Amino acid sequence: MIRKTLILTLLLATLLPGLAQAKKLEVVATLPDLAWVASQVGGDQVRVSALSLATQDPHFVDARPNLAVKLARADVLLVAGLELEVGWLPTLLTGSRNARVQTGAEGYIDCSIWVYKLDVPEMPIDRSMGDVHSGGNPHYYLDPRAMKNVVLGVAERFGQLDPAHAADYAARAEATAARIEEARLRWEGMAAPLKGSPIVTYHRNWPYLAEWLGLEVLIELEPKPGIPPSPQHVARVLTTAKGQGSKALLMMSYYPDRSAKLVAEKSGMALIKVNGGANFETGEDWVDFMDALIVPLVAAGDAG
Amino acid sequence: MRSRSAALLALLLVFPGLAWAEEDPPEDPETGEETGEQDDEEPAEEGGDDLEERVRQLEEELRALQELLGTRPDEPPAEIFSEAELADIEAALAADAGSEEESAPPPRPQTFATSTQSQNPDISFIADVAFAWFSSDEPLQTGGHDPKVNGFNLQQLELSVSKAVDPYFEFDANIVFSQFGVEIEEVYATTLGLPIGLQVRAGQFLTRFGRINATHPHTWDFADQAFAVGRVFGGEGNRGLGVEASILMPFPWYFELIASETMAGGASTALSFFGANDLGAKTPVDLQTTVAIKQFFPLGSDHSLFWGLSFAGGPNATGRSNRSEVYGSDLYYKWRPVSRGGFATVSLQGEVFWRRQQVPGDVLQDVSLYAQLFWRFAQRWGVGGRYEYGSPTTNMAGEKVAAPQDPAWTLARHRGSAALTFWPTEFSRIRLQGSADVPRWRDAPDWAVMLAFEFAAGAHGSHAF
Repeated sequence: MIRKTLILTLLLATLLPGLAQAKKLEVVATLPDLAWVASQVGGDQVRVSALSLATQDPHFVDARPNLAVKLARADVLLVAGLELEVGWLPTLLTGSRNARVQTGAEGYIDCSIWVYKLDVPEMPIDRSMGDVHSGGNPHYYLDPRAMKNVVLGVAERFGQLDPAHAADYAARAEATAARIEEARLRWEGMAAPLKGSPIVTYHRNWPYLAEWLGLEVLIELEPKPGIPPSPQHVARVLTTAKGQGSKALLMMSYYPDRSAKLVAEKSGMALIKVNGGANFETGEDWVDFMDALIVPLVAAGDAG
Repeated sequence: MRSRSAALLALLLVFPGLAWAEEDPPEDPETGEETGEQDDEEPAEEGGDDLEERVRQLEEELRALQELLGTRPDEPPAEIFSEAELADIEAALAADAGSEEESAPPPRPQTFATSTQSQNPDISFIADVAFAWFSSDEPLQTGGHDPKVNGFNLQQLELSVSKAVDPYFEFDANIVFSQFGVEIEEVYATTLGLPIGLQVRAGQFLTRFGRINATHPHTWDFADQAFAVGRVFGGEGNRGLGVEASILMPFPWYFELIASETMAGGASTALSFFGANDLGAKTPVDLQTTVAIKQFFPLGSDHSLFWGLSFAGGPNATGRSNRSEVYGSDLYYKWRPVSRGGFATVSLQGEVFWRRQQVPGDVLQDVSLYAQLFWRFAQRWGVGGRYEYGSPTTNMAGEKVAAPQDPAWTLARHRGSAALTFWPTEFSRIRLQGSADVPRWRDAPDWAVMLAFEFAAGAHGSHAF
C-alpha cells in the first residue's frame, strides 16, 4: 500500500508540472533578447526560456538535446530568422516532435517579418563572400526601432494564440514599446554629436546600430564575415582607423579579442566589448543592456 | 469540372506574381532601398489637406450610394444565407476536400526576400579526398570511406538532400558517389508532429546504434572510421530498409527511447547478421531489431554529458535459427565555455561494442571499443587523439577462434591515431592524421599517414549534438 502510494506520488510529480504548465503560454526564444521581448509582453501569463546565452555566438549554438526538450514543451517559438539559426535550430525542431512550433505552424514566430532589413544582398551571393545571409543582416536586435516593432508584433501573435489574455498582452506591449521609444529618444539625444562619426567593428553585427545613430562603419576586423582577421588585414584596419580618426571599436564579447585589443591600443580607439544581447539568465533588461553600450560609445566620442 | 480546376490552378500560379508586382513597397527615390517602415506616413506629408478633403467627399458619396441601396456602413451586412444553409455549404466543402480541414489561406504577397526562395530541397555536396601513405601493402582499413591505398583517394562525394514534405513529414536523403558508382546510403521520411513525443522514420536509414553509427564522415573528428564499426556492422555502418519509432519521454531531462526493424542483409551494412549471405526475411524474426536509449545531462551551460545504451539483434547466416546480438554503450562529454565566449572546446567520446553470435554448436563473442579526445584550441585549429581496441574472438570454452567475418582476427588489435585539423571556415577542413595499427596477428605494426581534405557546398542541414 505504502509502495503504491509512493509510486503514484512519483508519477504525479512527473506529470503534474505538465498540467500546471498548461495554464501558461510556454514560450521559447532562440536569442536572449527575444526572450526578453516575450517576458515583457507575456508577463506572468507566459513562461519564457532562451535557447542561447548572451555570451554565446548565435551562429554557432550546439544543438544540445536539452534544448529539444524545451522545444518539445513549447507553445510558441520566437526566432530571429534571416538564417541566423539555420546551423542548429532545424535539428532541434525535428527532434522536438512538436507540431505547434514547426516552421509554418502558428506557434512559430519569425520576428524578422516586423523589421526593415539592412544588408539585403542586391546581387547573387555565394560563400566566397563569407557568411552572408541572403535575407539580410539578422542582428537587428541592437536597434530600438526594430525592437519596438517586434514587441508589438509578438503581442499580436500571443493574442491570437491565447485570446483570453490578448488585451493583457497588448497593454504590456504598449507599455514596453513606450519605454523603448522613450529610451530611443534619450539615446538619440546623447548620441547626436556622434552623427557621421567613423567606427570600426569586429563582425557585421552592427549595421542596424550604425544606421540608426548615423555612424559610419569604416571597416570590420574580419576581412569577410566569419573569417578571422589576418595580419595584413589587421594592418589595413589600423591604417584606416588612424587615417579616418575612428574613436571606437565595437565587438561582441564572444569573439576573440587579441587583435581587437592590439588595434584599439595602437590607434587610440576605445574598445567597446559587450555581450551579444541582454543577459536573460540574470534578468538583465534590454534597455539597460543598450545603455551599457551607448554610454561608453558616447564617452569615446567625447574623449576625442 | 476538371478544366475548371485547371483554370483555377493556372490563376493561382499566375496571381502571386501579379500580387508581388502590385504590392511591392515603394522605393525610396534617394537610396533605392525599400522603406517598408515609413510607408504609411509618406502620403500625409505632401498636400495632406487636399487629400483629406477628397477622401471626405468620396466617403460622403459612398454613404449616399449605400443609402440608395439600403445598406449602411455601420450596419452589419445583410444575412444572405441562413445558418442552416451555411452549415450545408461547410459540409459540402468538407466532403469535397475529403476532410474537415480549413481551406488553405490565400497566397501572401511576396517580398524580395521570399521571392529568392524556392520550393527545391536544400541540397549540398560534401567531398572527402585524401592523400595517404601506408607502411603495409594491405592496410586494415575497415571503413567503407576510409583512405585505403597509397596515393590519392576519393573517400566519397556525398549528396545530401532535405526538405519538409508537407506539414507532417520531413524528407532526408544521403546519396554517396564513389569513384565508380552511386549508392543510396539513406533516404527516409521523418514525422514532425505525432502526439506524446512519438516520431517515426521510414525508408532506408542508418540505425541509431551507439554514437558514431548514425552519423556521416563529415561530422567525424578523424579521417577514418573507428574499426569497431567496420568489424561489427561493416564498412558502411549499420543501416537497412525499415521503420523506426522513437519517443521523447516526458521526463525533466532528455530521455529518448528508440526501436527499429530493418532488413538484416548486406556485407557492409549488417555484417554480424545475414551479411553478404542474405537469406531473406520469411518471418519477422528474420529482421534486425535495434533498441537504444539516449540520455542527455546538461551540467550547467558549459558542460554536456550524453549517454547511450544500444542493442541490436537479428539472424546470422551460419544457420537458419542462429542469431547475433550486439550490445553497446556510448559516452560523450563536451566542454564548451559558452558562458564566457571563445572557441575552445574539449570533447571526450567513447564507445564499446560487445558482440555475441551463435554458430553451429557454439557461441562466439568479442569486444571492440574506441575512446577519443578532441581539443579545439582556436577558432580554426583542433587536435585530437584516439585509441582503439579489438579483442580476439573467443568461443564458449574461452579459446581464441576466428569469427566467420574475420578469419584472420584471432588475436587482439590496438590502434592509436593522432590528428591535427585546420578549418578555413566551417565549410572546409584540412586534416593531417597519423596512426599506428598493431594487429597482433601481424608481425609488425602498420603505420599510416593521411592528409585529408573536405569541402562542402550548398545548404546543409544542421547536425545533431
